[in-house]
This record gives sequence, structure tokens and C-alpha cells, in this order.
Amino acid sequence: MATFEPVLMRNVGVEDSTSLKVYESRGGYQAFKKALAMSPDDVVAEVKKANLRGRGGAGFPAGVKWGFLPKDRTRTLLCVNGDESEPPTFSNRVLMENDPHQLIEGTIIAGYATQAQVAYIYLRVEFHEQFHVLQNAVDEAYAAGYLGKDIGNGYKLDIYLHRGAGAYVCGEETGLIESLEGKRGWPRIKPPFPAVQGLFRLPTVVNNVETLSNVPHIIERGADWFTSIGPSHSTGPKLFCVSGPVQRPGCYEAAMDITCRDLIERDDFGGGMLSGKSVKGVLPGGVSMGILTADELDMKMDFDDPRNYGLLGLGTAAAVVIDQDVDMRVVLRNMARFYGTESCGQCTQCREGTGWMHRIATRIAEGAGRIEDLDVLLETARNMGMMPGLSICGLPDGATYPIETIVKKFRQELEEAIRSQPPGRADMVLSVLN
Amino acid sequence: MPKIIIDNQEIECREGIPVLQAALEAGWDVPHYCYHPGLSIVASCRLCLMEMKMPHPKTQELDWAPKLMPSCQTPVRDGMEVRFDSDKVRDNQKDCMEYFLLNHPLDCPVCDQAGECYLQDYSFEFGRAESRMVDQKIKNPKKDIGPHTLLYSDRCVMCSRCVRFTREISGTSELCIVNRGSRAEIDVFPGVPLDNAIQGNVVDICPVGCLLDKEFLFQRRVWELKGGPSICPGCATGCAIRVDQADEKVYRLKPRYNPGVNDWWMCDEGRYGFEYVHDKGRLVHPMIRRGMEKHRPEWAELADICRFRFQEHVQAHGGASVAAVFSPFMACEEAWLLARFIRETAPEATLVTGPVPMEGEAQHFPVGSDEANAKFTILAEKCPNRRGVEMVLEAAGGEVISFESFVEKAGSGAFSAAWITGGYPKPWVEKDVAKLAAKFMLLVVQDLLPNDLMAGAAIVLPARAWVEREGTFVNAGGKIQPFSRAIRAPEGGYHDGQYLYAIAGLEGLYNPGRVRELMAATMSAFEKVADAPAKPAHAH
Repeated sequence: MATFEPVLMRNVGVEDSTSLKVYESRGGYQAFKKALAMSPDDVVAEVKKANLRGRGGAGFPAGVKWGFLPKDRTRTLLCVNGDESEPPTFSNRVLMENDPHQLIEGTIIAGYATQAQVAYIYLRVEFHEQFHVLQNAVDEAYAAGYLGKDIGNGYKLDIYLHRGAGAYVCGEETGLIESLEGKRGWPRIKPPFPAVQGLFRLPTVVNNVETLSNVPHIIERGADWFTSIGPSHSTGPKLFCVSGPVQRPGCYEAAMDITCRDLIERDDFGGGMLSGKSVKGVLPGGVSMGILTADELDMKMDFDDPRNYGLLGLGTAAAVVIDQDVDMRVVLRNMARFYGTESCGQCTQCREGTGWMHRIATRIAEGAGRIEDLDVLLETARNMGMMPGLSICGLPDGATYPIETIVKKFRQELEEAIRSQPPGRADMVLSVLN
Repeated sequence: MPKIIIDNQEIECREGIPVLQAALEAGWDVPHYCYHPGLSIVASCRLCLMEMKMPHPKTQELDWAPKLMPSCQTPVRDGMEVRFDSDKVRDNQKDCMEYFLLNHPLDCPVCDQAGECYLQDYSFEFGRAESRMVDQKIKNPKKDIGPHTLLYSDRCVMCSRCVRFTREISGTSELCIVNRGSRAEIDVFPGVPLDNAIQGNVVDICPVGCLLDKEFLFQRRVWELKGGPSICPGCATGCAIRVDQADEKVYRLKPRYNPGVNDWWMCDEGRYGFEYVHDKGRLVHPMIRRGMEKHRPEWAELADICRFRFQEHVQAHGGASVAAVFSPFMACEEAWLLARFIRETAPEATLVTGPVPMEGEAQHFPVGSDEANAKFTILAEKCPNRRGVEMVLEAAGGEVISFESFVEKAGSGAFSAAWITGGYPKPWVEKDVAKLAAKFMLLVVQDLLPNDLMAGAAIVLPARAWVEREGTFVNAGGKIQPFSRAIRAPEGGYHDGQYLYAIAGLEGLYNPGRVRELMAATMSAFEKVADAPAKPAHAH
């Protein structure tokens, strides 16, 4: 199989890749010049034609999102979502710390296409190094005239970096907007959608770091080149993360025609399992999408195939491999704990449901589970997120898919573990707790 | 007006309101916590979700949306169709109710809210009988958050109404939400208690027993209380209130929805300002003095005595020697009855508007707003009916003078008979007024609390607190608002309207409606007074 020629990661590993000089010497800011010579609508049309689906998780086409902006707007804001809070995901980080100018160029083009006056890059608070790398790159871009007043075709753009305060939910676009406004990161009720009333009640576009990093390449090489990569519904290059007991954990770039098995086993990706380990399950799209069993590894890593395996979607395309020595009860608790502490506490189902799941999963992991707990978990998962639209944002959907798929796909193991507990243990633990 | 279809029934509704509001007004009992018509919409309790027909994103064809939609957040559109009576909706309500009670201590037997708690009501109506939660509950603390308010955060449903109230109505923003997920709780900022002039409303809008009023805490079970519609006499705003009483004792005052006047709110001054009703020192019985003799007349003979004394005086000294002071605490009907009696007995008598208590300046809310954009106002004029009394006196004709000029004229001996009404919740007779008593040969003092004029009074009549009377007040905006009697006067006996009715020479029993009919002959504004309280705009 031919090796994939890196697009997004072409500068990763190049010496001094964060500097403007190196970026320009490798063809950087050519798309910028090309885009500013086009009309904004043509830029939008090109991105629409490329069918660039959002890389943040939901896979919504970026060009279509830009098209939602009201035609008669006078001000527009652009937010770049660099919160990257999905647990095993680190692809945005790789892009930001190795090639900040690619993101800045993409941001400028997206800003030009949407006629935004200001762009905010929202970073999670833990991105200390990435923050400084990006800030240096922004300063360089200002000095070189790529940012600021009249950068070409009468267009001006300012970029500000903003660091969050550490909340998963601030990666949700309206949560991010609230956080940017200096408020508690509570997702907003929609409508109005951000495109109509977003940040500071102005029309706002929120795009993921990886999505925007694709934009310069689309402009430079054209939508046709972009759609030639990968399957027709999931076009363009995509970053995949692999972690867990594999030979080569890391971030890799590929078209979306690879399978989950490729990601783990191929030499140019995970390189197979560590010796003595075998796959028991994989969380292929960040934790929120759900789990695959060892038999389901032929799932295609594109935007649509995960649905066929009972998963929520492609998510962030970050696969965590779980080996045969890991107790599924512990995985279950880990998942539940994360959402229990990260639910923002606004909607009833999510606020109480995630906390409840966490307590049940903890008890099961501590060896005091009951068979009926599994049914309660499934029922809770159903009424929290499986039935869509019960909450303001998608967090409870993401919270329930891992729980539900683990319980459904590994029910036999969980039941055996519960049955092998000493008799009366659950009752004993409960009476001590209460 | 748009028409929408709920459960196959077409209803007409006001433009622009949420579906939930339309359903509530049309009689559907839709459970909800976070929605309050006076506050912004957050759609976070997820209890009011309904099935709705929405245009399909691709084909634009109307069809039932796969998602349940928050009815509080969806505005009505003409012809829209929603479903409340459906299994999907009921399932969601059941699940929500289980979640609400997950960490709730279920301490109804010791909770003040029990009996008027929407956790109880909705659990009974929409919830499931048993909780499947076996693990330990999260025990959030009980907090003292201000001079009047306690916060039992373990009973909270996180509807955030209280937080929005302090941000949007009082504008003081004392309350906030701390922590995340199931550990989220309401709190105040360190060192900044919930202490503003209208903070008591957070207790009213709390749908559960989380925010509680210290004054009412453990005083009485709410199902023993009987509520009567009334108007707050605290200031000229004239907030519509409900007087909750049991065994002839007022336990608390609650605001009633009154659009354009107080909406859903009332101030703390009015809310807690009823202690004087149960003051031990209040006048209870009438008293008659002739020479050195003092005695307590029967209520039934009181009218004859008053009429006789005044006729006797007018015959001897002429009608111009008579003056009557009308307190702004009198109801319009009472003022009219007294004015009628005085005018009949002494047509040349002088009518006086009583002193109007003023305190500071009007307070507008949210803090920082002005008269034009205020959502709630506490006025500086601390009496309920200055305008009503002025209307009545104007209609009565003849000379009407201010209290200041009355004091001046009476001081120089212009009047030898006077009827002075009080009814102020605080002592109001200053020294210069008290010494006027010696100037009158016939003085009738009608007041709530003993005052220094009474030493020289020929007749002392106990005035009743507003909760013991009935009639109408006219507020600062000129709105005529009826209030009804909530409790009996201490030790029984007549209230002001009853004895004034007899004194005015009318037959039968006092009935404010009947008095208003008579008043309407000269004051058409009293022809039609909205007797029934305004329909509540939402369930709670």
C-alpha cells in the first residue's frame, strides 16, 4: 500500500517548523495570497465543494456552517476551537505545537471567507507550551503583515488567544462561547444558533483547529484534489491518534479509508500490540463514541461507518486500545467518572445521570455490583442520551455511548465478574455506604 | 392571534409566547421548574419537553421531530402541532422526576415547603413510585445565606430561578452556581450575603424547599394556612398579595401576579411589615367619654352615639366648626362613608387629607434602572391610598385642606369638633398634633395604636389593620384595587367599614361592593372594579 503523503503533518519533524521563515520556505502563506485574490463567496464555495467535514467530532460540513451566517450582518466573529478536551485525543496539539502558521493561515482564510473582523483561538488551559508557540507565531504573522490592518484586498483581521479554565464542556461550541465571554461554561440553548447570535450576541463561526488547518490546502490545491482523498462522504486527510499498549502510539495522518485494525496493526501506524498483549476492545473515536470489541476492528475510520457498529460517530478519531488484561469494570468506572465530573450541571438528565452512573460504576468496580445495576445503567443511558435532544448540548449523548456499548458488548464479562463476588458483598457495601 | 394544536385540540394563544405558557394558560398541567414567565428562559430542567411537528431540515415537510422539544423555549407559531399526551413525553417526565429525587433527602416531614412543593406534586403526578438509586446520596450543605433566607442545597433542583432573579430583577447578582455536575449547588459569594430589598421573592419562586424564609420557618404547616387576596399597604405601589392566615393570625404575605403593578414580585418591607397587626398594644374596643366619665359602648349603639354627638355639636356651634382628617390608610369606601356622614351632618365642614408618610426616595429594580425601565419599584410614599382618599374628598365637594394647614388652623382655634383618623402602622402623632386635643370640644379619634390625642378624645374608635377590613385602595398609577378581609379584628367586633356604614346612616350590612355602587353616582371610576384577582399567568 502506498504511503500517504502527509498534508496536515508535512511540517511535523522539520527543524524549526514553528517559525514563519521555515513555514514560508515550505510553501506557506501561498494559499493566503490566493484566497485574498478571490471573493469571499468563492472561498466559501470552494470549501463547500471540498465537503470539508468538521474535524471536532460531529462532522458537520464547514462550508455549510459558514453559509448559515446572515447575509445582512455587519460584524462577524470567528472562534477557533482548540479546547481539545476529549480524553485520548492529541491531534490538535500536534498541529499547534508543530505547525502553528498552518492554523493561522487557515484562520485568516476562514476569517476572510466569513468576513470576520476578529478571530479568537480558544485553548484549553493545560496547553501551556502550545499557547506560547501559537502566540509567537501570531506575533510573527502580525510583524509580517499577515494579520492586522489591511492584509490584502482591504481585509483586516485580528487574532486573540484565549485560554480556558479547564472544562470538558467548553469544547462544545456554545459552551466555548460562554467561556470566551467570561461566564460559566454552560452551553446555550439553540436556537439562536451561533451563526446568528453567538459570541457577544454577534454572528459567530466556531471551527476546530484541524478543520481550519485543512483550509489552506483546499484553497491551494483545489477542492477536486481534496475530494480525491478518501471516500466520497469523508473527504480529505485526517489525523488519527492511537494510544494504549501498541508498539507505536502517536498521531498519524491518513485518508479516511483505513480501518480501525489498520490503525492498530499497520507498521506505519500503531505497529501492532506490545508483545504478550492482545486487543480486547478499542474506543476508536475518543471515549465519547463508544467501544468496539476485538471482532469489530474492521470498522472504517470515516464519518459514517461507526454508526453501523452502534457507535455515536467518528468523534475525534483517537483510538484507545484496551488489552486483554484490563478489567472492563475499571474501564466502565473510568468512563463514568470522567463524565460525572465534567457534566456542567445544567440539564437534569445529564447532571444527575452522569453522577448516578459514576456511583454505580464505582460500586461495580469495587466488587459490589448487582446484576440489576447493569440494567439501570442501560436504562439511564437510554433516557440520558440515546433518545436524542433531551439536553441542551451533546455531552450526555457522549456520556452514554461508552457506558451503553461497554455494558452491551461486554455484558457477559461484567456479569461473570459480578457473579464471582463473594455472596452478600453488594448488600454489605451498600449498608456501609448508606 | 396564533392558533396551535395541543393533543389534537386547537387553542388560541397570545402572540410570541412559549408553547409551555400557551398550554398552561389553556389549562394543561405541564410540569416545569426552570421556566418562569418573569425570568429569562434557560430550558435546563427538561421537564416540559413535548413532541412537536417541525419542518424537516431537508424537505421542509412538517413531521413529528424525532427529538422532544423544550416547550418553554419554543415560541408558538400559527398552525403548529404539539403533543403532550404521549408515551415519549411521559417517559421523559418519569425519568426526570427520578433524577430530581436522586440526591434529594426526602425530608418532607420536616420541610417547610411540604404541601406547596412541586417536587411532591410532580412526583405524585408524573413521577415513578420507586427510586432505583441504592447508592449513597450527595449531601449538599444547609446554608445561611442572608438575614431572611436559608438555603437547603440538598433539596435543590438546580432550576436557577433564584440566580436569574438576582441577576435580572433585583440586579444585585448575589447568588451564583458553584461546582459542576451533580455536585453543582447554589451559593453566595464569600462575604456577600443575599441582602437586598426584594430578596424575599427568591423564596416564592423556588419551586421546592430549597430556599426558605427564616421568619416563616417552622411556624406553621402550609396546608393549615388559608390564603386571601389582598393589596399590600406598605407603599403606594399597591402590590397584589395573598394573606396566608390560620386561626386569625397572619403567618406570611406572598405576592400575587398583577401585571403592570408588581408583576410576580413584592418587596421585603411589605412582606415582613405586618407585625403591627398582632401588636399587643392595639386598640381593641371603642371608648366614650362625657365629662370625666368613660365607658365602653356596645358596637350596636356606637353609630347612634356618634351621630347624636355631632348633630348636637353642629346645632350649637355650626357646621363650619367641624373638621375631619382622612388618613391615607383608609379604604376608598370607608373614606366615602365618613365623608358622607360629615357632609350630611355639617355641610360646611372642612375635610382634611391626612399626613402622607414619606421615606427616602423611590427604589427601582434592577438596581441602577430608572422609572422608565424599572421592573419593580418601591415607592417613597409609605401608604396605600392617598390617591383614593383624595378622589373621594374631591367628589365630596367643599373645602379640602392639607394636614399642615389643618394643624395651623386648629392651633388657632378654627375648629371645635374634629374626627381624626389614623391607622398608621407606626406612631404618627407628633407633639404639635397632640396638643391640638385641648382645642376641640368634640374629638373623635379613630386609630390602630394608642396615641397622645386620645387623652382629649370624646370618642375613641379602634381602627382595624387592612387584613381585617375590606374595600379598595388606589395605587400610585391610579389603579383601583380591591382587597378582602383575611382575619377577624382582635376580640371580634366591627371593622371600620362596618361602623362607618352605620354611622353614615345606611341600613343593612356593610358590603364594599354596595358602597361602590353608591359611590359610582359621583365617581364613575368605581362603577366597575376588577373584583376577581387576575388569573395567574403560570402554575407556580
